Amino acid sequence: MDKTELIKLINENLAEEFEVDIETITPEAHLMETLDLDSLDLVDMVVLIEQNFHFTPKAPDFREISTFQDFYDFVESKMNERQ
Amino acid sequence: MNGNNGKEWSGKTRGGSFGYRFFIVLIDRLGVRFAYVFLAFVVIYFIPFAPKATVASWWYARNILKKSRFRSSVFLFANYYRFGQTLIDKVAVSAGKKDRYEFVFDESYPRFLEMLNQENGAIMVSAHVGNWEIGAPFFDKYGKKMHVAMLDAEYRKIKKMLEQHSENRNYNVLPLDETDGLSNIFRAKAILDRREFICFQGDRFLGNTQTAEVGFLGKTARFPVGPFLLASRLRVPVIFYFSMREQGAKYKFYFQMARIESTETGKSGEPGTESAVKTGTSSGIKPEILLLEQYVRALEDIVRKYPHQWFNYYRFWKGN
Repeated sequence: MDKTELIKLINENLAEEFEVDIETITPEAHLMETLDLDSLDLVDMVVLIEQNFHFTPKAPDFREISTFQDFYDFVESKMNERQ
Repeated sequence: MNGNNGKEWSGKTRGGSFGYRFFIVLIDRLGVRFAYVFLAFVVIYFIPFAPKATVASWWYARNILKKSRFRSSVFLFANYYRFGQTLIDKVAVSAGKKDRYEFVFDESYPRFLEMLNQENGAIMVSAHVGNWEIGAPFFDKYGKKMHVAMLDAEYRKIKKMLEQHSENRNYNVLPLDETDGLSNIFRAKAILDRREFICFQGDRFLGNTQTAEVGFLGKTARFPVGPFLLASRLRVPVIFYFSMREQGAKYKFYFQMARIESTETGKSGEPGTESAVKTGTSSGIKPEILLLEQYVRALEDIVRKYPHQWFNYYRFWKGN
């Protein structure tokens, strides 16, 4: 899967899971604010990552993520590590 | 005893370690019966000198239990006395004196053990009623896999005392950092992923916690959503657990398995089973709210049965 496909997949999953308009998801948008997440809602995010991308993120990973672009890069790097 | 400015719970437990130490020595030297007698004088002291807790207990007696002023005065003493008794009993049992107590289990106990034996993670939700901790020795081999969620400030305060005076602590503590919700979530998830158990107190939260308002004993109160959201998202069973003091040196343990309705199958089941889904319920209510409402109903039944064992000494209900 190339990065464009990965981003498309991530955006579709996030829009569906967190019930937001997919148009609001842009690389520079703030992840937590756009998806209206608090720390408890991150359980949903973890489950989503486990089910769709087959790895389990750690708490410090999320501290590094601010925008969707950060999130795309994070998922991509973890998937590359697995290969 | 827990209280702060009387508004919300601050995350800290009232009373210094001196009080605990004093009773530990008293029980050790003079026995549990003497400690009960001495407790009556402590209660008489507490009524005027713990005014915020006294106001909360009085409000509960007058507005929830609808007692007269005279009966509320009697209740105040009985409520504090019962609370003190449960603390004495906890210390006595943790010091190895469990043989002087009788422990009985409700009819759901075999189902509870069966659920723990499924090798699933599970979430147990208790409350500040009765004496949940006194049941810990009976969790037996499961205790080693049990993590009691405790706010960090509260845990730090009692940690040393617990370590010094307990023969063996029968459970682990999951310290919750009130400033780092993210780490709490991940620690809790890691425990459940290891197929171990977390015990939450479902009637306590701090200011920044996600809560929902639910009718409870005729008035509206706020309850934390977190334990139920975790359970529904991670699909683990939820068990409501209460340990209540009865007449004589006797405790009765109550267990209730939560049920959740599925949109996919149209059937209901326990979280962690196939019919427990994260997407919602056929009634349109979010699964975590459905679980929370079941918990509140279970807690309501217990408080109605044991009104003197309600130990939340702060403004619990909305508007009180």
